Amino acid sequence: MATGIRRGRAVLTIVTLAVLASALTLPGTSAAAETPRKGGVLLAAIGADPPSLDPHQESTFANVQLVAPLYSTLLQFDPLDSSKIIGDAGTSWKTSPDGLTVTVKVRQDIKFHDGTPLTSADVKASYDKIVFPPKGTKSIRKAHYEVVKAIEAPDPATVVFRLKHPSAAFVSNLASPWNVIFPKKYLDKDPNHFKANVVGSGPFKFKDYTRGATFEGERNPDYFIKDRPYLDGYKFYISPETAVRAAAVRSGRAHIEFRGLPTSEVEAITRQLGNKVVVQEAPTPGWWAVSFNHKVKPFDDVRVRKALTLAIDRYTMSKVLFPLTGLKGVGGLVRPGSEWAMSPAELEKLPGFGRDMEKNRAEAKKLLAEAGFPNGMKFVLANRNVKLPYQDFAVFVIQEWKRIGVEATNRPLETAAWFDTGRVTRNFETIVDPHVDFMDEPDLTLVDFVSSSPLTNWSQVADPELDDLYERQGRTLDPAERKKLVNQFERIVFEKAYFAQGLWWVRSIVHSARVKNWKAAPSHYSNQKLQDVWLAED
Amino acid sequence: MRTYILKRLLLVVPTLLGVATIVFLIMRVIPGDVALLILGGDDGGQIDAQQLAAVRQQLGLDQPLIVQFGTWLWGVLQFDFGKSLWTGAPVLDELLIRLPLSLQLALMATLVSVIISIPLGMLAAVRQDTWVDYVIRVISIGGLAIPGFWVGILCILFLVIVFGWGPPLEYHPPWVDPWANLSMMVWPVVTVGYRYSAVTTRMTRSTVLEVLREDYIRTAWAKGLAQRVIVIRHALKNSMLPVITLIGTEFAFLIGGLVVTETVFTLNGIGRFVVDAVAHRDYPVVQALVFLIAFSFVIVNLLVDLTYAWFDPRIRYR
Repeated sequence: MATGIRRGRAVLTIVTLAVLASALTLPGTSAAAETPRKGGVLLAAIGADPPSLDPHQESTFANVQLVAPLYSTLLQFDPLDSSKIIGDAGTSWKTSPDGLTVTVKVRQDIKFHDGTPLTSADVKASYDKIVFPPKGTKSIRKAHYEVVKAIEAPDPATVVFRLKHPSAAFVSNLASPWNVIFPKKYLDKDPNHFKANVVGSGPFKFKDYTRGATFEGERNPDYFIKDRPYLDGYKFYISPETAVRAAAVRSGRAHIEFRGLPTSEVEAITRQLGNKVVVQEAPTPGWWAVSFNHKVKPFDDVRVRKALTLAIDRYTMSKVLFPLTGLKGVGGLVRPGSEWAMSPAELEKLPGFGRDMEKNRAEAKKLLAEAGFPNGMKFVLANRNVKLPYQDFAVFVIQEWKRIGVEATNRPLETAAWFDTGRVTRNFETIVDPHVDFMDEPDLTLVDFVSSSPLTNWSQVADPELDDLYERQGRTLDPAERKKLVNQFERIVFEKAYFAQGLWWVRSIVHSARVKNWKAAPSHYSNQKLQDVWLAED
Repeated sequence: MRTYILKRLLLVVPTLLGVATIVFLIMRVIPGDVALLILGGDDGGQIDAQQLAAVRQQLGLDQPLIVQFGTWLWGVLQFDFGKSLWTGAPVLDELLIRLPLSLQLALMATLVSVIISIPLGMLAAVRQDTWVDYVIRVISIGGLAIPGFWVGILCILFLVIVFGWGPPLEYHPPWVDPWANLSMMVWPVVTVGYRYSAVTTRMTRSTVLEVLREDYIRTAWAKGLAQRVIVIRHALKNSMLPVITLIGTEFAFLIGGLVVTETVFTLNGIGRFVVDAVAHRDYPVVQALVFLIAFSFVIVNLLVDLTYAWFDPRIRYR
């Protein structure tokens, strides 16, 4: 017995040490152990600037990375553990037992940068703008809030969302980094006011913006969290060339590039700067895949589609493409490793995910022969004319298809033409079709295969079973039950080879070791408020 | 002369109108939709068909093409180039942010090129088929053969890897912070100036060689004039006409054509702006920029023609 206890203690000690050791290697937690230093301006390089400054009306990372530090949101993903939702302007939230009402309590000590207090009326006005956009404005993520029937602000500290039906994703959507809170008085005058102006209540105040060049914020001394932010300010340099952004981090002109750099650049920087830089890898809720046009022959034939997906060796693709492009994760329709994902063993049973490639290719050839293509086939793979990761991804996939006698021609299209081809004209046979989200949420990814969503459903899948499953999983509040439905949805998509999944993106972020207390969230849209980030001495 | 200048200036109007019409039509013919790009963002995301229609309407893209063209042209006649479809900001404001940088780069690169290329081209011609000529030829052919962006990237990587230093990422006008301006602009100026001077050196060498074979030069030699006088006073001036044409065309090109150099050196100039605007199908911006670039070409060509008269007094304009 004593030996058992001693062994138990020893195991416990080892486990504790291991946990401590791993904790010390995590950037967020290691930084937490150090004493934060006040002052300094965080310098970042970014690849683009946004059409406007209003996050409700934009969908590019270039918007949210620049302006997130200037605003509060109702809820947020925990900056140090993105799987958790915590409050921001909201302090607590409660869903009614029938799942039809979500009540959020709003902090009463928050002031906008113009000095006016933030109340539930501002929250209501902001969410009204998102859910029921007034004429002349757009709301990019309106579809995520179709479930909302009404928004009420019964008193300054309470906001109530009335839903049409229970929604598993609703509370997570309240933590969306895009849903910043604007002061109502400006929205009343002009709902587009914040396209060119900033009045937030975030840790930083707007300082300056030169379009195409720089964007700056400065410390908000009245921020509602005492002693935050640590930084005096932040400044983004807008530089579209990846190699130049990498050189900026390498030369110290920028402390960080938040979106992530190709692994080859990260390695070069690490080789040169050693422990002066820190590398963080963040598996991201985003994939690159191939969509088949189901309205064009022979892609309406499940045998052809299945052959094409069987021919792709995703495990080798991961090894080859990760250093070049950041594409790494082998997974289904939800991010591998996330709470909704099926286990690797389950995944391997699905067409295209088995590890025996000889067997897969033999089956693929057999299927093609059965479909009337015993000598292979030829078609065009429409693609975006962006090298990383689009072109590299296509080159690999085309090589794989060659092994089963299929000749695909990569046709690079300029971004606007590629969007048009995928969504409007549908003038393609197969097309490289990525999908990137701000969180792990099945509602956001599965919608690509739902018949009522023609603009995201590039393949034009029309399967009543999928439509029904999509509705059901979205209304199922029990996570275990919901996971079953999500995985069932995935199985149908892959069994019927509705599209050929590629790989999931893993961001590699290299930053100066001076940057402390910032942990790369899975999504490059999240954890950009910077309220806890500080800069160590040079 | 005055009538000639007036005539040339009047010709600018149909030229610009022609360019505007062609660009308007081309931009509408190529596939792509700014509304889709605005709503689609980085990867596509979820797009609501109703919102797509609403954005198109908001941007005036639902109007017939002739109405869109007429509205735009009427604005231009009042010096109103409209608003960017992508940002909603007035096109002129967006343009003025970028114009000083592009002008500075074009002027400095032209200056560097002229200072380097004319003496080198002349020297190569005078010392034809000697080692001096060979060295100059290798350098100038190198400048023509090596792409500018590659020189730019190498330049940055060399500085970063060897000195751990990179050029600044932010543009400061020379009258605000001359040192910061110089430390940013010197690298693109060298990169662009190298290619530019390579072209001009080659042209200067050829034209000087041609003039040196003229009868009047032989006469000058026979008269016993000093080599310096023959080359500088008699040969150089007469061989400059093609060189000036080349310098003028290159200068106009530099205003809007340095897309890659501007991207490599993080310069927020007109070239990058043009490419972004085309990629975003931002019609008013593309039209205004093409207008500007066409206008630059027309004016520079006029100035070049007028310079001819100064170099060669036999030329008369009517």
